[in-house]
Amino acid sequence: MSSPLFHAIGIALAAIVQVAAMLAVAPLLKTLIKKLKARLQNRQGPPLLQGYYDLAKLLRKEPVRSETASWIYVAGPRVYFAAALSATTLVPVWTASAPLESAGGILLLVGTLALGRFALATAALDTGSPFGGMGASRDMTIAALAEPALMLGLFTSALAAGSMNLGALVRGLVQQGPSYHPSDLLAFAGLLIIVVAETGRIPVDNPATHLELTMIHEAMVLEYAGPDLALVEWTAAVKELLYLTLLVDLFMPLGIATSLSPAALLISVVAWAAKVSMLAIVVTLIESMNAKLRLFRVPELVSTSLGLAFLALAIRFL
Amino acid sequence: MGSILAAGLTGAFAIRLVAIGVSLLLRGRPALCRFVSLAGSLVASAMTLRAALHVVRARGAVEGVLLHHAASGIEFGYQLTPLSAWFLLVLGVVAIPVTVYSAAYFTHAVSPRRTATVGMAFNSLLGAVELVFAAADVLTFLFAWELMTLATAILVATEHQERASRRAAYLYLVMSHVGTGCLVAGFFVVSAAAGSTSFATMFVGNLAEGSLRHALFALFFVGFGVKAGIVPLHVWLPEAHPAAPSSISALMSAVLVTAGVYGLVRVCAFGLGTPHVYWALACLLLGSVSAVLGVLYALTQTDIKRLLAYSTIENTGIIVLGLGAGMMAMAYGRGDLAAVAVAASLAHVLNHAAFKSLLFLGAGNVVAATGTRNIEELGGLLHRMPWTGLFFLTGAMAISGLPLLNGFVSEWLTFQALLFGFASTPGLMRLNFPLAGAMLALTTALAAACFVRAFGISFLARPRTRVADEAHEAPAIMLVPQAFLAVLCLALGLFPGAVLGAIGGSVVSLPGIQLQTSFARNPVSIVSGIPSFDYVVPALLGIAFAAALLVSWIVTTRQRFASRRAPTWGCGGELTASTEYTATAFSKPVMMIFRGVYRPTREVEALAEVSAYFPREVRYRARIEPTFERYVYGPIVRGVLKVAAGMKVLQAGSLHAYLAYVLLLTVALLLWLGGKT
Repeated sequence: MSSPLFHAIGIALAAIVQVAAMLAVAPLLKTLIKKLKARLQNRQGPPLLQGYYDLAKLLRKEPVRSETASWIYVAGPRVYFAAALSATTLVPVWTASAPLESAGGILLLVGTLALGRFALATAALDTGSPFGGMGASRDMTIAALAEPALMLGLFTSALAAGSMNLGALVRGLVQQGPSYHPSDLLAFAGLLIIVVAETGRIPVDNPATHLELTMIHEAMVLEYAGPDLALVEWTAAVKELLYLTLLVDLFMPLGIATSLSPAALLISVVAWAAKVSMLAIVVTLIESMNAKLRLFRVPELVSTSLGLAFLALAIRFL
Repeated sequence: MGSILAAGLTGAFAIRLVAIGVSLLLRGRPALCRFVSLAGSLVASAMTLRAALHVVRARGAVEGVLLHHAASGIEFGYQLTPLSAWFLLVLGVVAIPVTVYSAAYFTHAVSPRRTATVGMAFNSLLGAVELVFAAADVLTFLFAWELMTLATAILVATEHQERASRRAAYLYLVMSHVGTGCLVAGFFVVSAAAGSTSFATMFVGNLAEGSLRHALFALFFVGFGVKAGIVPLHVWLPEAHPAAPSSISALMSAVLVTAGVYGLVRVCAFGLGTPHVYWALACLLLGSVSAVLGVLYALTQTDIKRLLAYSTIENTGIIVLGLGAGMMAMAYGRGDLAAVAVAASLAHVLNHAAFKSLLFLGAGNVVAATGTRNIEELGGLLHRMPWTGLFFLTGAMAISGLPLLNGFVSEWLTFQALLFGFASTPGLMRLNFPLAGAMLALTTALAAACFVRAFGISFLARPRTRVADEAHEAPAIMLVPQAFLAVLCLALGLFPGAVLGAIGGSVVSLPGIQLQTSFARNPVSIVSGIPSFDYVVPALLGIAFAAALLVSWIVTTRQRFASRRAPTWGCGGELTASTEYTATAFSKPVMMIFRGVYRPTREVEALAEVSAYFPREVRYRARIEPTFERYVYGPIVRGVLKVAAGMKVLQAGSLHAYLAYVLLLTVALLLWLGGKT
């Protein structure tokens, strides 16, 4: 047995553990935000395990597919799922290294998420339903507007830490210690707007609505049913968890495990859970305190984010 | 080895000449004529490709003489530098599949009467582009450049019974000759200063100073920029590229544009001495503007070939963007960082050639099967043309810069180049790089939207017209070249290190560039200039992706039921092809958001019988303003016409007046020359 082989097995195991854990936790995050939102509206809200019940129910159902659709329709959710899962392996979650950081960094992460989006948007056009087209069109448009701001925000962090690789980036940030540089605040605000836009939350999209003319993500997946829909919903939840983890990594990496000792890992997991829950509260507050924007007002919001990211870059490096 | 190569290159040109001659003789027998010209072209392309591969591998230049005429002193010399070999390689990789495809495509796309002309122009075009890349001196270069322009014009005007084709060819000729004029002027100045017409002595970089150097850069930039399709010199491109038969469009977008890029790299970036910061800024600015405007215009097109042509402008923009970053690094003396940027640029040349020719060939299949280029009249083609659909989808994903395919690799490199530019440029100047990066990010994401639309509207859902419903898959001879290009897109995406290894030789041959040893360590990975900064191994992600795909399959196929088919939900009504989302509707949000760019005008007309709320028919007409045609070229054209009208006085049509002009000119010259001695 050679050591490269052990190394490869180690990477594979780490990736599997991380992906499995993210898959397992993601539905909880989704329900948590729902529950918090309900409490803010003086409602009871769903039980915390509702996300899992929903997935289990959908996975047991018979898949009903449109007569018009081709294999693209079946492939769409699967590619979306696989892209989000492989993107997960590029991000450090509990240790200051990503399982698959030897594959690439920020640009690969953004590209992989774009691959999933491309697949789902294409599949949405396959049923011939006008809703699918509408959703795909809006989703791709908003993603296109969000992309420059996302890139600039990520570049600011990457240039500050001296690496585009997320593992090295987080290690660099941990090593430097908290910087308290005002640019962090601007970049964080900019990226938070993008995360809200990319995860389809108010004020950009409303995940709770099936009101025909306002929905974006829901319109895109309107025709999906059963296990296909389960994949889409699950992936959306994983993506949201991934984006929040990314924010945690970039702006508050304190507490992340730099060694594999059980104590460090325990602290790291607890700290991660606390930080992600905090961000979930922030997202819930944004959802509860804002109204959904008209589609054509979204560009203003996104350009605010672009401005913030650029400002962050400017004051950091000039 | 050199002599064998020389024989190969000379042989390739000889074969093309013979093929042209024989095909013109056989003009009465179209099938045979087509076979001879395309078979000749195929052999010649293969021979050039072999020579190019050798030079790329050996990393040394090969030179020689193609034609020598003692009496007139005319000599056509060639010099295969590693840089020109890289462009020849790109040409060969595209030309071979396109030639095979043309064998079937020309049977119905070109009328029998015109087969000989098209065959001749096809061979002339490929030979001319090969000579442009291989030319060692000004005369050879300009001859090849002009031949390339004329051959293309003939191909654009293939369907010259159509007014649009004639107009496109005319516009192309005019724009090209303005460009050629700039090149001739630039070459005159440089070769006069060098005292030689050989490129090897002309472009060493110390021949011009100060503002003359800026003027030379501007001349060459315009001259090559017209061919490359850089905004605002692009207006001919979306007219000319779609007008030609689809396989020619593939050549034009993949190869002809590349000839302009070759000139930009060879002369503008590395031929006039250390690039000035302003030149780099010009490239960054015009590159990002071309990229964003190209994709924005592509996004609103409903003609699939026009859409692809605009997307060519976008990709040229990305190439020039990378080049600009390299020039900036050179200007600040960072030859090591410039290597990454120039490599990004050259890699994108190959990648764009691969996926754009794939997409144009796919569009050719669609046009051949349905007779329409309007995607609003298509739909549901994936059921009828499964292979075409699969290949087009591969091209669409590659051009959208998605990982595992080749577009991602060169865009990744371009981003690296921009980030390095930011890190290495002093002062406020550095802020240009993140701005260019933001533009590149916007471009990539808009390109994804554009190609979701192009693929989705044409190939998915229900057929919108009868022609789309009755479409048939293309014959195997047309599909095999596309399969090759699709596999190439995947292979270039999974083995980027191999590509960069090949580019490395071309990059180091450029003056002032130092290559990092860690540039391409193995075939599957690429490392940006500073290894700790970033690297990417797409194949590794590919393994994770495949594993995750397997998981998704396991998770969802454990159910006890087979899937059931049901009609798409139509809100209680019945869904027909006319209720599907259209391409126009798809791009509407982008159109609204960027209305400052598009300046759209629209007319909505509702025909109602009972009440305005129950229209029987709604007519919608939207147009985007041709900004450049109206505001840039309009005044220029008007000015030229005005001056021409003024000069009519001189050209009165009287023979006596003309004789008087000749006399006056002779006397004036005699006086001037007499005064000199």
